[in-house]
Amino acid sequence: MSNPFPLEKDKLIEAYRTMKTIREFEERLHVDFGRGDIPGFVHLYAGEEASGVGIMMHLKDHDRIASTHRGHGHCIAKGVSVKSMMAEIYGKATGSCAGKGGSMHIADLSKGMMGANGILGAGAPLICGAALAAQKLEHDGVGITFFGDGASNQGTVLESMNLAAIWNLPAIFVVENNGYAESTSVEYAVASDSYVDRATGFGMPGITVDGLDFFAVYEAAGEIIKRAREGAGPTLLECKMIRFFGHFEGDAQTYRAPGENEENRANNDCLKIFRSKVTEAGVLTDAELNAIDGEVMTLIEEAVEEAKAAPLPAAEELTTDVYVSY
Amino acid sequence: MSTVGIIANPVSARDIRRIVSHAGNLPINDRANIVLRILTGLSTTGVEEVFIMPENGGIRTQLVRTIDREDRMGTMRFPKLTYLDMPVTCTAADSAEAARQMHDQGVGAIIVLGGDGTSRVVVSKCGNTPIAGVSTGTNNAFPELREPTITGIAVGLAVTGQVPNGQGYSFNKRLEVRVNEKREIALVDVAVVAERFIGARAIWKTENFRDLYVNFGLPDSIGMSSIVGLLSPLDRETPEGRHIRLVPAESARSHLLAPIAPGLIENVSIDGVETMQPDEVYLPSISAGSFALDGERELTFCETDDVSVRLQTDAFRTINVSYCMAYAAKHGLLTRESDSALAKL
Repeated sequence: MSNPFPLEKDKLIEAYRTMKTIREFEERLHVDFGRGDIPGFVHLYAGEEASGVGIMMHLKDHDRIASTHRGHGHCIAKGVSVKSMMAEIYGKATGSCAGKGGSMHIADLSKGMMGANGILGAGAPLICGAALAAQKLEHDGVGITFFGDGASNQGTVLESMNLAAIWNLPAIFVVENNGYAESTSVEYAVASDSYVDRATGFGMPGITVDGLDFFAVYEAAGEIIKRAREGAGPTLLECKMIRFFGHFEGDAQTYRAPGENEENRANNDCLKIFRSKVTEAGVLTDAELNAIDGEVMTLIEEAVEEAKAAPLPAAEELTTDVYVSY
Repeated sequence: MSTVGIIANPVSARDIRRIVSHAGNLPINDRANIVLRILTGLSTTGVEEVFIMPENGGIRTQLVRTIDREDRMGTMRFPKLTYLDMPVTCTAADSAEAARQMHDQGVGAIIVLGGDGTSRVVVSKCGNTPIAGVSTGTNNAFPELREPTITGIAVGLAVTGQVPNGQGYSFNKRLEVRVNEKREIALVDVAVVAERFIGARAIWKTENFRDLYVNFGLPDSIGMSSIVGLLSPLDRETPEGRHIRLVPAESARSHLLAPIAPGLIENVSIDGVETMQPDEVYLPSISAGSFALDGERELTFCETDDVSVRLQTDAFRTINVSYCMAYAAKHGLLTRESDSALAKL
């Protein structure tokens, strides 16, 4: 049977491997954080993998992204080393930011990852800068920022959308809508509930896709990124998705309906949806995917072991790598 | 008591056609305003209760704010609004579930905000309950372009019996697609495309078009049905359909510039046109691909699947708004005696 998908088999394998890596990375952090092994604070991306990977499969290293407090998935999808990320989250000197950033500040400019970010909405102006640079340097790079409904009300996001529109920047605004804005309802906090309507207000197109369906995200993102590379300007993409864990690790999730998490794990898992599509089409087999699962588990285990064994940053490094040196 | 259902799904008209073809994007606030105008029309004709689909995309918030404000100001002119008890999935499945519940509750009619796709979802689940479309979608070949206030009045006149029972309705054709045991419907057109995945659903890559089955297509239609409208027009009433064979450009007998989506006028490669007869079975010209129903990929099929397309006549009812309003004018349904005239009696 021929491959019906818009990606060759090796790319389908790459997509699955990346989504599975994100999933297992987050599942492991959930366990290790609960055990008290990890300093700081973590927000997990599990359940949302189809969005980040569906978009990032179109990108190259010179394309820049800016992430959020829930940034692990974006980092992995953009090609940041899983082992250096794990070391960073463990606060070790071998981490991607030398152990000084932690979960919410992982960055790797060599991969076009401008940083996870603890400040809501702070990624939007960053990628406008990256998009402006691409425009001025006349290369085909794009800038993509991810944010949620809480950040959608931040002035930084709205000002960035305005700037991107008037300068016709190759900037893409991705709303990852997982249905919950921490603990504040959308009805209370957002005067216009539709993110797409906000894009329309700035004169840029906006669309909504099923963020659980890798192929829906991939196809829509492909058109949007192509449009930006060709000089047609900014776009807003809303991915409707589901987050498997709480807003943060330790969140009691009292806002969820009884059985909601179990239902989502059973029937709204983007990895299961991907697996069923590619196996039913006869392009990949369960055995091939299971083999990838095993390789990913090994990678995550190695990442944790190496992170635990790595040294902490030296005390004399305390004031290096910061904007203001003392 | 006469009741009406309203389905206004905020996720309709949000797909990729806004990227590839500058398709319209009706803001949520305007959708809420449309519902309010419909409610005004219904209230005027004596409809006392309206069942409405719950959603969390913002329409409800705007409705509640407005209705509460008018209630406080003493200017309330809306029927009682009752939200259905159903989970909200933020997908087209909400429209389907709402249609099913409204039918079960015995509403006199369902008013649907949307285009061909949303209307299709509602018709697939509303049984013999008539619908009235309010054009707010991407492709709007099925719902007629009309001010929603008028649709509200006409629906109210029909369901309250002021337009005599049976006169205010039209019967419509539809297409049925079967893939093994699974059956789906289309209200306007079924396109067979070579792509064998659903993805972003909309179809716009003409090189992949292979077959087109059309219920009705007028020369001024938008969407895939425009191909029939420009080659071999067909109205809503004639009990037949059209099958257009589409091929890659190099093997086409002729080419047609057709507005296959709002803002997207493409060169379509034509191999031939034939008439579809009701209840006859038609097979796609390719053994693997996807069925796009009213402009959106919905079903995939491959060599081992048993697939067919069939035209059904008198398949579902719509409110005939023009007839209802003409009846109202002829019989003075909206005419009232003035106070001075009454005083002379």
